[in-house]
Amino acid sequence: MTELDPVIHAQARLRVVASLSALGDGDKIAFPRLQELLAMTAGNLSVHLRKLEDAGYVEISKTHRGRTPATLVRLSRRGQLAFEEYTEAIRTLLDPTPSKEQS
Amino acid sequence: MNLDDDPPPTDAAAALRLIEDQQSATARRLNPDARLLYWPWGVAWLVGFGLFFLRFTPGERALVDLPNWLPLTVLFVLLAVAGAIQAVASKRAYGQVSGDSARRGRWYGYAWALGSVGVYAGLGRISEHLPHDLAALLWSATAVGFTGALEMAGGAIWLDRDLFRLGVWISVINLIGAIAGPGWHALVVAVAGGGGILVVGALARRRQRQRQQP
Repeated sequence: MTELDPVIHAQARLRVVASLSALGDGDKIAFPRLQELLAMTAGNLSVHLRKLEDAGYVEISKTHRGRTPATLVRLSRRGQLAFEEYTEAIRTLLDPTPSKEQS
Repeated sequence: MNLDDDPPPTDAAAALRLIEDQQSATARRLNPDARLLYWPWGVAWLVGFGLFFLRFTPGERALVDLPNWLPLTVLFVLLAVAGAIQAVASKRAYGQVSGDSARRGRWYGYAWALGSVGVYAGLGRISEHLPHDLAALLWSATAVGFTGALEMAGGAIWLDRDLFRLGVWISVINLIGAIAGPGWHALVVAVAGGGGILVVGALARRRQRQRQQP
């Protein structure tokens, strides 16, 4: 059993990553909407996003919508993989019988 | 192990529950209720084309004596209402999400808008030379056929089985109605078309609920 990824194995960041993983392929979500979905304060969410960004798990882009600046967030490919591995590891912990994917 | 004061989930089961809850909550918030997308159109077709059939029944006299202008006016008002409901529901759900999905939706919307304008501009030129019943059949069979084709295309774009099947169904009943002739076409479209949209809306909603259940 490998160690659980410490970046994701944390309640708030796991929620952030799980939410982002529910977006469609190639989609980005605006910061305020993500904040609303997660019911987190802006400051709190910023801190967690920065940690996820430092780990290379999320991509944050700044853009303009009309004249107002907008921050868009998406899960990176690396973040997607890390999340899948984490979910797989959790499932294995809960049900250790080897599944088809594991040899 | 911890990077900060964000505590890990208490155990594996809690972590899995957290993931599933969050994913289903997000999916629920980012997808409009399927009933809002289908049912208003179903009602518009059922009532609008239904009134049209009652007023312009094949044969000598109308089943119900309604003013001439009423069926089409009701149809267009209900279609406009359905469009508005769809726009508001979509804006609420998809607003502030950008990227590939938004682009897909926008281009699909352009196909509807530009396609309709092109088709109807042509029809307008022709239908003034036709008797009333044939002009009505030409308009409605073209509009319904166009809808069926674009719904099949929408099913292909989003790999949405419900939308694709609805497109097939509408294309087929449109053909049957067109063969049956003026007047009957409106009855077929009202009952089988409008009814079909209502049924697909209920099915799509059920599928959506199953998907969004943690």
